[in-house]
Amino acid sequence: MTSKAAAGRAGRRRRRGRTSDVLGICGVVTVGLLLIMAVFAPWLAPYDPSERVGRPFQPPGREHLLGTNDVGQDLLSEMIYGSRVSLVVGIAAAAAALLIGTAVGVLAGYYPRRLGAFLMRGVDVVLILPFLPLLIVLAAYLGRSLLNTTLVIGALIWAGPARIIRSQVLSLRSREYVLAARSMGAPDRWTIFRHVVPRTALLATGSFVRAVAGAILLEASLSFLGLGDPIQKSWGSVLFWAQARGAFLTPAWKWWVLPPGLLIMAASLGFALIAFSLEERINPRL
Amino acid sequence: MKGLIDLRRLGQYAAAAAAAVTLNFLLPRLMPGNPLVLIAGVDVGLLTPEQRAEIIARVGLDAPLWQQYLRYWADIFTGDFGYSFRASRPIVDMIRDRLPWTLLITGLSLAISAVAGVILGAVSAWRRGSKTDLGMLSGMIALEALPPFWLGMLFISIVSVQWGLLPSFGAVTPASGLVGWEHIEDILRHAVLPVATLSILSVPGVYLTMRYSMLETLGEDYIRTARAKGAGEGRVLFGHVARNAISPVITVLAIRLGFAFGGTVIIETVFSYPGLGRLVFEAVSGRDYPVMQAAFLVFTVAVLAANLAADLLYPLVDPRARTS
Repeated sequence: MTSKAAAGRAGRRRRRGRTSDVLGICGVVTVGLLLIMAVFAPWLAPYDPSERVGRPFQPPGREHLLGTNDVGQDLLSEMIYGSRVSLVVGIAAAAAALLIGTAVGVLAGYYPRRLGAFLMRGVDVVLILPFLPLLIVLAAYLGRSLLNTTLVIGALIWAGPARIIRSQVLSLRSREYVLAARSMGAPDRWTIFRHVVPRTALLATGSFVRAVAGAILLEASLSFLGLGDPIQKSWGSVLFWAQARGAFLTPAWKWWVLPPGLLIMAASLGFALIAFSLEERINPRL
Repeated sequence: MKGLIDLRRLGQYAAAAAAAVTLNFLLPRLMPGNPLVLIAGVDVGLLTPEQRAEIIARVGLDAPLWQQYLRYWADIFTGDFGYSFRASRPIVDMIRDRLPWTLLITGLSLAISAVAGVILGAVSAWRRGSKTDLGMLSGMIALEALPPFWLGMLFISIVSVQWGLLPSFGAVTPASGLVGWEHIEDILRHAVLPVATLSILSVPGVYLTMRYSMLETLGEDYIRTARAKGAGEGRVLFGHVARNAISPVITVLAIRLGFAFGGTVIIETVFSYPGLGRLVFEAVSGRDYPVMQAAFLVFTVAVLAANLAADLLYPLVDPRARTS
């Protein structure tokens, strides 16, 4: 191996590392801005998004920067308040998924024989069923509310994290300190909470952030299909109404269709970038 | 020596199918509300008491739960998915009308995304760490964050409405009377935008798998051997690396099919495309629960069949899987 090639490779690796850091920072900034928007929505939004404050179907103007929708609500205010639904549902659903995923993953990894085999069969079944149709069927039966949307998404996206955490626990289980703790008669529960769970935290953080990115898209998809909370409008529900009123067939698409989609994408991408940069640190080979 | 197909995998598919059927059976019966409405759809409210009594007897709603469950399975095995009171048609007929359109657009988009994903993934891994690789990787991560329905709506706004290039809804021009080649062209023109949207959504999954698999393969000894014996770059890339790296993509494609089917619910809704996905949307908005359930079962069976096909194909493509 020539030194030039080695230097070139080291340079590439550095560039890669730098790139993933830059992407991670972009993600943090995007998510941070959206969080600020969600928290300070009442101060930032010019109008109450549920009030009819203008003529319907108004194009952007001085009074309504993004125009108005079919019943005369201010679209900019809907965008700002929509961030709340998106982020709350995304983060809560991912947290629920992580809770289930960690529980299943740790149990399946720590007791790999019967309990583990049984749990992993369940994981396989969840992973193989057609995901979105199942989500829609569940959401349609449960009814439209923020809590139901969150629960349904959380109940379906835990299987991926469970698998990742299980493989980590499987390898932790045979480490010396775990074996030492067990051979000295430590009860399983103590070993699990003292030695196993803390060491899955890094991996779990990565899957949590990735799950948020996915959950935000799923919430938007459900709302777009008319299965979102009818009172708390999200970006997805704004697009549902834009679709129902044919906004994308008129010039209104530029202020009614474009902004909510860009915001959904920014939110999901922000979390995905953070996840990517985290995973790069945990496993730099990929 | 392993059999033609892994029995454990087969058991897994059977379990998944049973889970889907059981879920379908339990959901309407456990949810709060009138079980008759949840089983037969909201339109049963329009029926006469006699008709309602007939449905209750047919589904066996007055029998114990386990008897209802057995009857439910028997109905499915005889291909009886029930009756849609909203559409006034047997559900099997509705599915038969819709399924071909969905298979057309998912099949085309799966093929396109497979080819594009494999090529891009191979190139990206081959030049790992380069600007091309990082550019593509970032692009694919961005694509994964794209809301599918939004992409479809933008396509309609820009390509169909502003440029007037392609039709914005439906699968054929209504009452056009086109025959032969012109009819096929009409169908294809209607399919372009839905297929493009679905393909763009499926590419990142294939790309990431191919890229990762390529990176794994690049570290193998036989690649070093091939290089050492003086094989050209192109020969190493296509003859040695890509060829060995491609097999995981098959498994991923089967999984992608599940996502693509889910995607059709959204894409067909945006493009008013008369497939099974649009049927799910119509059933959900019309609270026509039995239709929604039947469509979910068909999607499940299709996904399981695709996985089975991938299991059978895998050893053909990758001889290493035959001996282990």
